[in-house]
Amino acid sequence: MSDVTHEFQYSSARHRSESAISGMWLFLATEVLFFGALFLTWIYTRHWNQVGFDAGARQTELAIGTINTVILLASSFVYSAGVAFIESGNSRRLIQCCAIAWALGVAFLILKFGIEWRDDFVKHLFPGHDFAIQGPLSGGARIFFVFYFLGTALHGVHMVGGLILVGWIVLRARRGEFSPTFYTPVTVVGLYWSFVDIVWIVLYPLIYLVGRGP
Amino acid sequence: MTPRFRRLWLTLGLLLVLLAMEFGISFLPLDREARPLVLIPAVLMVGLVGAMFMEVGRGPTIVRLFAVAGVLWLTILLGLGSLDPMTRTDYHVQDAFPK
Repeated sequence: MSDVTHEFQYSSARHRSESAISGMWLFLATEVLFFGALFLTWIYTRHWNQVGFDAGARQTELAIGTINTVILLASSFVYSAGVAFIESGNSRRLIQCCAIAWALGVAFLILKFGIEWRDDFVKHLFPGHDFAIQGPLSGGARIFFVFYFLGTALHGVHMVGGLILVGWIVLRARRGEFSPTFYTPVTVVGLYWSFVDIVWIVLYPLIYLVGRGP
Repeated sequence: MTPRFRRLWLTLGLLLVLLAMEFGISFLPLDREARPLVLIPAVLMVGLVGAMFMEVGRGPTIVRLFAVAGVLWLTILLGLGSLDPMTRTDYHVQDAFPK
């Protein structure tokens, strides 16, 4: 779709753009509630199992979690820079920014699932029959790791979706489909990408920091 | 550097400072009950990303409405959901009915 045309249901190209952006915000509002249930689970289960829950949290890899947070913040920043570049008509810089954001996203997934999850399984931290933490703290620690695996898996699925979308933006940008007057898909995907970052910003302290007292 | 890029760099810097604060606070000797205070920098970071990277203030009014609705419903969800664990008092049966 070129920058000046618009479908019959819109009064103008601007109307189409605003509808797309509003639609993404509405979707993100539903996603807030989706992850809200997960955060409520954390509040509830930690409250009733604090000692065991925190004992589980202390088994997580703080270094990997912190590096991953920096990676996602940087990725969100780079993508936002890409949006600013295409607004000024620099499509080449947009592609470069998207490629960097994409690579950072892949680095996150490798660290999270290729290294951290693998170590967790090796250390028997998956809440199964051979769970590493035994004794009175076992119950709370198991609940923590249910939250941990579920939360990071749900976030990971969203990351994969985001990577597909960022890749789609790169392909379209390479075909020269974006210009200073039409870049709505770039903005919409950027909203989703930053939202995935926001989810991690909340998950990071819930998983790695709150349970890690001296 | 244009003001837009300067703002983006500043935002990234602030986010990293807040992340460092959050990381540091987590090592303070806080009570188990008070440890969720570690989340305060995270809340500020969420606000920064929403305002500066997602530019919530820049879109049409309905965008702000959806954003506020998301926060409102999340507050209701977490607020009502937390009422039970935050307010329930467990009495030991042994204490209530001494032999």
